[in-house]
Amino acid sequence: MIELINVTKKFGGKVAVNNLSLNIEKGKLTMLIGPSGCGKTTTMRMINRLTQYDEGDIKLNGVSINKIDPVKLRRSIGYVIQEIGLFPHFTVYDNIATVPRLLKWDEKKIRKRVEELLDIVTLDFNFAYKYPLQLSGGERQRVGLARSLGADPEVLLMDEPFGAIDPINRLRLQDSFLEIQEEIKKTIVFVTHDINEAIKLGDKIAIMKDGTLVQYDDPAEILANPANKFVENLLGQDRSIKALSLKKTKDFILKDNLITVSNEETEREITKKLQEKKAKIAFVLDKYNKLIGRYWLEESKKKEQVEIIFDDNPIFTERNNTLNETLSTMLESGEKLLPVVNRKKIFMGIIKLNDIFEEVSK
Amino acid sequence: MEFLGYYQGIILKELLRHLEIIAISIPISIIVSIPLGFYISPRPKLAKFVIYITSILMTIPSLALFGFMVILLAPLKLGLGMVPAIIAIALYSLLPITRNTYIGLNQVSPRMIEAAKGMGMSNKQILWKIKIPLSIPIIMAGVRNAIVLGISVATFASLVAAGGLGFFIFAGIGRSNLKMVLVGAILVSALGIGVNYFLLTVEDWVTPKGLKIKR
Repeated sequence: MIELINVTKKFGGKVAVNNLSLNIEKGKLTMLIGPSGCGKTTTMRMINRLTQYDEGDIKLNGVSINKIDPVKLRRSIGYVIQEIGLFPHFTVYDNIATVPRLLKWDEKKIRKRVEELLDIVTLDFNFAYKYPLQLSGGERQRVGLARSLGADPEVLLMDEPFGAIDPINRLRLQDSFLEIQEEIKKTIVFVTHDINEAIKLGDKIAIMKDGTLVQYDDPAEILANPANKFVENLLGQDRSIKALSLKKTKDFILKDNLITVSNEETEREITKKLQEKKAKIAFVLDKYNKLIGRYWLEESKKKEQVEIIFDDNPIFTERNNTLNETLSTMLESGEKLLPVVNRKKIFMGIIKLNDIFEEVSK
Repeated sequence: MEFLGYYQGIILKELLRHLEIIAISIPISIIVSIPLGFYISPRPKLAKFVIYITSILMTIPSLALFGFMVILLAPLKLGLGMVPAIIAIALYSLLPITRNTYIGLNQVSPRMIEAAKGMGMSNKQILWKIKIPLSIPIIMAGVRNAIVLGISVATFASLVAAGGLGFFIFAGIGRSNLKMVLVGAILVSALGIGVNYFLLTVEDWVTPKGLKIKR
């Protein structure tokens, strides 16, 4: 899809990227990682010709990008940078419509596309007429992603898109982002300096140092067989725990023997249902299957008597959370099972602590 | 009050003349300064030089500047009247407008311009869709400063026989007529304050909505 062939870039006398060859596969999420100054951002910027390489060649679908007009090339490639890249004098709508308007789509088609994209990034259409200054960091980042997808480009370039977001929101954004990628299957080049992010998100990881490629492989392979000391250090000492982040919560979802109820059922009906099935917990879903609460039975001191308790803000985990993220949520909350939802909070099933332990002990 | 009644006709005439001087000199200055600001905005060394020169122009005492104009323009037989006044005020307002245009264009975050470029905007589109809307409030503030400054400097116009509200001040001094001086001074100040207020409203009006949001 994107081939870098012996690419070299010098700034003044300094070599930023040195004879780099890299084949970025179609539909894969490729992470570029390395210490600052390793050339990862330069490498990315060369792909949409924001930086012009000195030697070698870069081919997009077999065509040298030097043969494509840079403005046209950039309109066909999505580009996301940290939140500051949104235009403050444009509404969310106008920001997302930027590339479609540059491509002179008609307004009807643009409106449909904006609605679609806001839905993909789980923002309500009410956001369309807000300005970036009215949004939180996470919301801005979602708009940034929606904007880059504006004209449905095949390729996305993302330069530390979650870098400026706080850790909790970063996890949520990563989860949503993975889920979106499952749907859109774009070829993505993603620059990061966070090894955990690279392992969690990447289909492939390209590790760079001093402008050269040190190792390029899928995360499991890199964790199992780091190419050298540099890669080992980058991975850190907790490699075995990191390996857990290769596993996603969605692969451990249980759907059997689950009791779900609608928010219209009475407590009495729910109690009866639970007792009949000898179960303790029922999850409450609205008509879109969104998780909105949880009931559980607690035996009161007088035997034969049970109490039913409602929790309108149950702790949950997201399907693209890594197993260690879900595990730490469980340990923090003291729950032995958690409901699993997707980015739109639609209920998917549950995950059990025992299953995670079994996975760890393998 | 009696005084005002007596001078009503002249007050109106000199007020209009005062405004006329501003209305001609500021557009001339804008036509020079804004393109100059755009030209120097990507050229930091040149910008430093240009802003230095325009600052020097501004440090010349206004009275002296009018004097220079009279002497320099005398051979052309333009030494007295509107021409020297207009040129002097236009020179005076070069600095605030040029400097604010330069600052306005350069305060647009490079990351934002990079995002625009990365999305496939041409340089022209970046200028019109991003740089200009984001810098217009600052450029407008420069124009406002120039106009308010011009209103006060235009007081000297009456010394070069261009008329304006300065007439009351200088004629008043000559006749030791306190009332006349006061009327002149108050009118100049009131005009400055009023125009400043009006231009602040214009500034608010040209500022893109998305920039006015308070968190």
